[in-house]
Amino acid sequence: MADAKQGGGEPGQVVITGMSAASAFGRGTGPLLAGALSGQPAFGQVRRFGVDGRRATAAAELQGPVVLADELAAVIGAACDEAGLSPADRASAELLMALHSDAAAARDAATPAVTGSTAADVAVRTGLPEPPRVYATACVAGSTAIADGAAMIVSGRAVRVVAAAGYLVDPDSFAMFDGARVLARDGQVRPFSAGRQGLLLGDGVAAVVLESGDAARGRGARPLARLAGWGRAGDAYHVCQPSPDGRGLARAIDAALRRGRIDPAAIGYVNANGTGTSHADSAETAALRRSLGAGVDAIPVSSTKSVHGHALEASALLELVLTVLVMRAGQLPVNAGYLGQDPDCGLDLVLGSPREVPGGRRHALSLNAAFGGASTALLVAAA
Amino acid sequence: MSTPSGLRNDTPRDAPASACGELIVLASSAWPAGPRAALPAVPGFIVSSFSPLAAHLAELCLLQYFGSPPADPGLGRQTGVVLASTTGDIATAAEVARVVDEGRPVPPLLFYQSNQNAVAGHIAARWGLEGPVVCTIPARRGLADAMDSAALLIEGEEAAAALVILADQGRPGDSGGTPAGDSGTAMLIGPARWSLQPFGPRRDADGTPGRNQSLGES
Repeated sequence: MADAKQGGGEPGQVVITGMSAASAFGRGTGPLLAGALSGQPAFGQVRRFGVDGRRATAAAELQGPVVLADELAAVIGAACDEAGLSPADRASAELLMALHSDAAAARDAATPAVTGSTAADVAVRTGLPEPPRVYATACVAGSTAIADGAAMIVSGRAVRVVAAAGYLVDPDSFAMFDGARVLARDGQVRPFSAGRQGLLLGDGVAAVVLESGDAARGRGARPLARLAGWGRAGDAYHVCQPSPDGRGLARAIDAALRRGRIDPAAIGYVNANGTGTSHADSAETAALRRSLGAGVDAIPVSSTKSVHGHALEASALLELVLTVLVMRAGQLPVNAGYLGQDPDCGLDLVLGSPREVPGGRRHALSLNAAFGGASTALLVAAA
Repeated sequence: MSTPSGLRNDTPRDAPASACGELIVLASSAWPAGPRAALPAVPGFIVSSFSPLAAHLAELCLLQYFGSPPADPGLGRQTGVVLASTTGDIATAAEVARVVDEGRPVPPLLFYQSNQNAVAGHIAARWGLEGPVVCTIPARRGLADAMDSAALLIEGEEAAAALVILADQGRPGDSGGTPAGDSGTAMLIGPARWSLQPFGPRRDADGTPGRNQSLGES
């Protein structure tokens, strides 16, 4: 079996009608796609703040001064523009937002919450309703917002959801990751590779417009892709380490494929979590093999964190945007920084240069995992 | 109790029958439940009362239903964790900021506990809860919003039940000393048929026999 179904007019269908992003490659989806396909990592010496005394010194940063609320407002606006949403459409949509803790709020004794007031401020600026909550599920916060948004659409609670997420490299998170010795001191992220040293942080701001297929068709919108499935599960294993057998992530993948009613042979690409840390990459490999079986050997895999870095709460949304972009382009981005095979990470990695999407395969998985064993899988399909 | 929005009363008519069964509160806990006492420490968590608060709420709640950890594997596999906080862990964030501003290395333990996921993972691992883990900062509706998050998991058949925790951290001096002002609630919500499961003594936090309560009751 290949695809059990393709983008049609089925009830309960969730489609993506607009998206945008900002990363160290620049602002907009064009620079993100071009940067990923170039295979050239965007890492450099941190310029935004001093890193004297830190073990690691590199990150992937947007150029020039940056303000998170400005970047979020810009990507949300661009995504809504691409979707063709009117002011009324925006006002009636749901806004779900994933954010990292706010460094300024942490220094304000009167702060109401660790994420500050960014979400409410951005809502006002973009003409969207105030988000009911900020997703704080660490590195799966963005994908959790997507899964909730899709669930809201399928259940009839919402017709249209704008999911947005943002993280800009800041001194507090850099110092924390550095103190925990998880940053790569060699300045490169090498997912699934022998000799990998860890992750590097990267700016990421992204927005995606989800709609019911019926609503999108009703207003004549042309979907960019279909969110064919999603899955969430926990490891129930450890505070911060993934289960070595990848059981939580495997169950998330299983759930996404079950919801999408496809089997592994329909998957043309996996955008892996691939942080470049030792335990996480081997656990993810175990999860892929546990869920997809021998079929995983015929599925191209790469972690684009190897070029744009880890955007924490925004990483899953940035990587979803990129997954849609590369599937539409038909070109799969490389897993950069690769030095050689790690026997615990036996995957069909995209190495050297971009690869074409295997013929006839219309689905891709975007995987993420986080502290606390939280794991997510998003399944996208050609519209 | 008031009816949290997004559960039984809001169940969409066309949702799968298996997702529409009545959800009930199988067990619950609250802090402070009486005269203030110190929260039990949680190994590996330092400086802040946030994670101990969330862990204690979970412990009080789950002990009522499951008796002792871990949960029955068949039920734990289907149970998610929703940890909501209108404040987040402001004490850990402030401590990290202080250490960074002083130019010192951040202790690894602060990194590990810096996100709500960490204590959610601690709870999930201790009790064998393998469902989705969702952590949020609700804007206004606190527990009702956390219940909405749980309802999305259950209606979407991503979990059959959920441990829902609302843990809000007070600030030093709110009521005269740390952890003054900390407060929270936890509920294990699940299908009515789970009330028939023969697990645990089902006692309330004060030791009296518990009573399963429908979310539709007010």
